[in-house]
Amino acid sequence: MIAPAAIALAGAVDEGFFRDRSSDTLACEARPDEVFCFGWARENIDRFLTPTLEHLEMVVASVAAGFVVAFALALLAHRRGWLRPPLLAATGVLYTIPSLALFFLLLPLTGLGRTTAIVVLAAYTLQIIYRNTIIGLANVPAATKDAARGMGYTERQVLWRVELPLALPEIVAGLRVATVSTVALATLAVFVGAGGLGTQIYGGGNLTFPTSVLIAAAIVILMALVLEAALLLAQRRLTPWRRARAS
Amino acid sequence: MRGSEAGYRLVAVPSSEPATHTQPAARAGRSASPVSYVGATKRYGPGPPAVDHLDLEVPAGEICVLVGPSGCGKTTAMRMVNRTVELSEGDVLIGDESVRERDPARLRREIGYVIQQVGLFPHRTVAQNIAAVPELLGWEKDRIRARTAELLELIGLDPELGSRYPAQLSGGQQQRVGVARALAADPLVMLMDEPFGAIDPINRERLQNEFLRLQSELRKTVLFVTHDIDEAIKMGDRIAVMREGGRLEQYATPAELLMAPATPFVEDFVGADRALKRLALMRVADVDLWQPATARAGEACAEVRARLAMPDVDVPFPLLLDAAGRPLGWLSERDLAAATVPEQPDSPLGPLLETDDVLRDALADMLQAGAQYAAVADPQGRLAGVLSFEVISDFLGSARAHAPLPRPAEAAPAAPAPPRGGRP
Amino acid sequence: MSAALPAASFGGAIDFIFGKQESNVTGGRKVGGLEQALELTLKQLEVTLLALALALVVALPLGLWLGHRGRGELLAVGIGNAGRAIPELALIALVAALIGVGMVTVTPALAVLGVPPILTNAFVGVRQVDRAVVDAARGIGMSELEIVRKVELPLAVPTVMGGVRSAAIAIVATATIAPLAGVVTLGDYIINASIYGEDGRLAGAILVALLALALEGALALVQRLLTSDGLRLQTP
Repeated sequence: MIAPAAIALAGAVDEGFFRDRSSDTLACEARPDEVFCFGWARENIDRFLTPTLEHLEMVVASVAAGFVVAFALALLAHRRGWLRPPLLAATGVLYTIPSLALFFLLLPLTGLGRTTAIVVLAAYTLQIIYRNTIIGLANVPAATKDAARGMGYTERQVLWRVELPLALPEIVAGLRVATVSTVALATLAVFVGAGGLGTQIYGGGNLTFPTSVLIAAAIVILMALVLEAALLLAQRRLTPWRRARAS
Repeated sequence: MRGSEAGYRLVAVPSSEPATHTQPAARAGRSASPVSYVGATKRYGPGPPAVDHLDLEVPAGEICVLVGPSGCGKTTAMRMVNRTVELSEGDVLIGDESVRERDPARLRREIGYVIQQVGLFPHRTVAQNIAAVPELLGWEKDRIRARTAELLELIGLDPELGSRYPAQLSGGQQQRVGVARALAADPLVMLMDEPFGAIDPINRERLQNEFLRLQSELRKTVLFVTHDIDEAIKMGDRIAVMREGGRLEQYATPAELLMAPATPFVEDFVGADRALKRLALMRVADVDLWQPATARAGEACAEVRARLAMPDVDVPFPLLLDAAGRPLGWLSERDLAAATVPEQPDSPLGPLLETDDVLRDALADMLQAGAQYAAVADPQGRLAGVLSFEVISDFLGSARAHAPLPRPAEAAPAAPAPPRGGRP
Repeated sequence: MSAALPAASFGGAIDFIFGKQESNVTGGRKVGGLEQALELTLKQLEVTLLALALALVVALPLGLWLGHRGRGELLAVGIGNAGRAIPELALIALVAALIGVGMVTVTPALAVLGVPPILTNAFVGVRQVDRAVVDAARGIGMSELEIVRKVELPLAVPTVMGGVRSAAIAIVATATIAPLAGVVTLGDYIINASIYGEDGRLAGAILVALLALALEGALALVQRLLTSDGLRLQTP
């Protein structure tokens, strides 16, 4: 994931886009040919702190909420197969509708602010988490379930002690995709007044200038990378048996 | 040489020799329970039932093999015992208790369950897999740990494998863990559904022998499903032959099945080579072995040659024995050309059989080695006689071969021969 | 931003779509109406389809070929992952500021968002084709190109179309904020609510949602048509 970004950055540096000038915002904005003002960046980096924290908070809240709902739906559909197509379609609709539109469709109900943003972002994650959970559970070998039941595990014990642990890699994979998407999408939360890094890209009805946009984008990508790595690590920790290979 | 293991099936009493590596506690489990099918029936929709009014009594501590072609209902019948298949009509009793009166999950924790694909939990270590039912039953950690170690030893696995995951084990090892897992909580009954079906033939035989060895110590009531009649004959104390439509055709000991098939279906299923199959039921000891001319190191060759020329000696070569009377090898012409019998024989011993071996395995060993004659040793290792193809065919043709064989419970207890090294 | 505007209602939104209204900000100039709605819808559709086509041209052959050869898994899957992390708002902002506004610059930018899912899914779709079938095709004398065209691609249709649909969703969503870079799509209703009013904003949201669903439905139909009967029987 770093490679393409690094290549772009290197190319830009090469073309002389980055030149260090004064830290004056206006002066920086007044120079259209200058992509990145290091001076301004150095001086104003702290104005990104709050938006970053807001952004992170939104991401964590939405993914958590989305996971809880999608996971519950998947458990429901796991037992009752007839629920699967309608639930897949329903979560699919929420995934298809552009988040910006969904923000404002919801606005009359929930108003401006954090709640609307979190609900919409969570809705966007439902399909991937739901689908991955269903697939993960479906991939548990029938023989393993048969053995578990035959040994005396109750249906509930089979689900929680056998099926879900074995479905964990798929589930966490879905969670990773959902998280990365949400980190990027949360930039749009600025349109409903929910804060986040989007405020540094589009503030007060106008796009900000490139340096600000680039810093915000860089933080978004970095956040996505870090969260993805953290989830990957958690996945590895929780599934030690996958790393064990036949001797 | 697997002779000793095959002989275990006929042994009704535990070995009189102290086991070298198994703790006595492993054998002192709860007594096994008998299992009875009373008119047990299973229907799936209209049409013929999957199991049709099955009446069967499995005595405690015996292996009952359910055998038949695909779709005959043998697996369904087995699963009625732990209610992974629910009865439509009739009942199954474990001891005196109907399975219908128990909560299924609790019932299953008292029954060992081994299936063909094993179904080990990939996300748990071998030790954790084995400990599964004890955990469900709420045993204390120490007791579980001790039991797991005991079982690993019982099934012949290195204790350090306990911390490995199933994916790191071979197919044969996995299947053994499956058996250990089923035995963990010392169940009253064991259900085994084609447990060795997915294993290659060589390891399958090994696993079968090991299970029979285990069974001779543990004496569980076992319901064993297979489609392979040879496996049924080898493993079963009693065999239930079933046919399509879930009907029981014959329920008898292996010997009865081979000698007196009840219906044309059974006769067909058992196969036209019934006589040959009977070789699996007879032991070398049952046969009149030839007595060869023997020699010991240092004797005068002239004397040995004289013994060889005796009329009742059918084996053309003398057998060299050691001081204790154990066979060392065959003496050739060149050996006898010297003045005294040498210490080392010219020809190697070849296959060394034991009186406890079943004739089928003995014959197989001889064929494999290309040996016309094979020395037979008694349990102490001393020469008992010589087996040849002629001896076997004489025996098969004789009246003795067709006499009713003793039932398993009446077989004379025989102490298993101690393990010997240096087999050819 | 729009706190001072009167609350929106669905009724008001419907009115906005169909009939021209007075605007309360730009003093008298009329906004809304079917004609304008249609114009913006078509604009959004135009830029979306062009960007999708561009993304297909770039990513599909590459993904199929890499998948066929079995090379470049890290690249194909990596780009797929990386693509998800791109914040579209930043992309549009940078394009507008650094490269220029208008269809010529926005379309490729949107295509960039569409490339990752198409590339990854084309790669994975081809990799998942049963190797035995490919061997058989090679054995009867098909050229490598023929194998891709006649064997791997048809069998990979579900996965590939899944990627195309994901790309379409990402592109149409970003096309919504394209007005920020000079391509005036339905998103204008939403972004410039000060001009169009709350009713207009809601109308925009409704129309964007409907457009996206319609596009997804159309692509689902295309997938259905492209999936051979044999394959459809296999997949549940």
